[in-house]
Amino acid sequence: MHTDLNEKIIAGRLRAADENQSEAPYDWAEFQRRRHRSSLTKVIERHRPVAIAAAVLATVLVTAAPYLRPTHVHTPALAPSDTVARNDVSDRQEQARTRAIEGWLARLPHDRVIVRVGTHAAVTGLQDQIAALDDLMSAERAAGAQPSRLDALEQQRAQLVSSLAQLQYAELLASATP
Amino acid sequence: MSRLADIPIPEDLIARARAGDEAAQARIYRALAPAVFALVRRLVGNRAVAEDLFQDTMMALFQRLGDFRGEAPLGSWLRQIAVTRCLMYLRSPWHRARLHWESDDHEASLHSAMLPVTPATSSDALDVERALASLTPIGRAVVWLFEVEGYSHEEIARSFGRSVSFSKSQLARALARLRQGLAPAEDQEACTPI
Repeated sequence: MHTDLNEKIIAGRLRAADENQSEAPYDWAEFQRRRHRSSLTKVIERHRPVAIAAAVLATVLVTAAPYLRPTHVHTPALAPSDTVARNDVSDRQEQARTRAIEGWLARLPHDRVIVRVGTHAAVTGLQDQIAALDDLMSAERAAGAQPSRLDALEQQRAQLVSSLAQLQYAELLASATP
Repeated sequence: MSRLADIPIPEDLIARARAGDEAAQARIYRALAPAVFALVRRLVGNRAVAEDLFQDTMMALFQRLGDFRGEAPLGSWLRQIAVTRCLMYLRSPWHRARLHWESDDHEASLHSAMLPVTPATSSDALDVERALASLTPIGRAVVWLFEVEGYSHEEIARSFGRSVSFSKSQLARALARLRQGLAPAEDQEACTPI
């Protein structure tokens, strides 16, 4: 009974506090301005995946263009026998060039995968920084560091964790975008 | 009772706004915006976040006005949109990360949380603001939805995607804390000579 009464009093006071609030954060004109800005942002966001895909494709094409020329399919076996001697020097140059290109390709990763470079690199980087900071904090604690120094490191760590969470949340939203 | 659900909006005004009449939309905005912002601010606390959620809610109102069937007051319908958006924010990793960050600087966060939502007009209102600020965001949302907005435990549980007992325990904890925060004022009232 007493608890119920208390709850009623509290509810009454909360409602009274609600009555004190009667202001909009901004007027209709400002709302319209923000609405138009937001619509514009949404259009950009909607087309972002297409723009990223186009940019990646263009980069890949530009990078691969020198290696897609017909000179790559030229092999000595296909050349007519009367021209082999005459083109001997240029063939050797061509073979040297092919070997150089093959060497460069051999150094590339074997598995071709699509990697979202931006977020992946950023997430890994942040995780590395957090791990490094943890090591540093352990070492500082063992060495009897000042509490203020430890507090500063803790704050730095919390900031990194916060950034990581924001990044992963942004990644989650991006993955949900059609 | 909720002020938002009680604000009368004429049907012809809604129809004009639905048809794209900007003057009608502006009138609806002026009528509902203060109560919407007050509710959002109560639920999320932080003013900047509240402004974003408020903008989002009001944009959803005009975008989805065609779906409004008029079975309940427009304010109730809009309240549901606002509450859904606030709870989505409270459940987001972004918000949890912010809380984690603020917990490291507890003094500062407590100080900023204690800033009243609106300038308090009396010491009693200030006490209520302080007591509300001492609650966790989830606890504050539950107590506000139950005691002021008139939500049932079932509705709160559904909104949070949790069980009814979650809602009841959050409410009990929040009320206990509010009782503690508001106790001195009540004691003073009890000791006032007649």
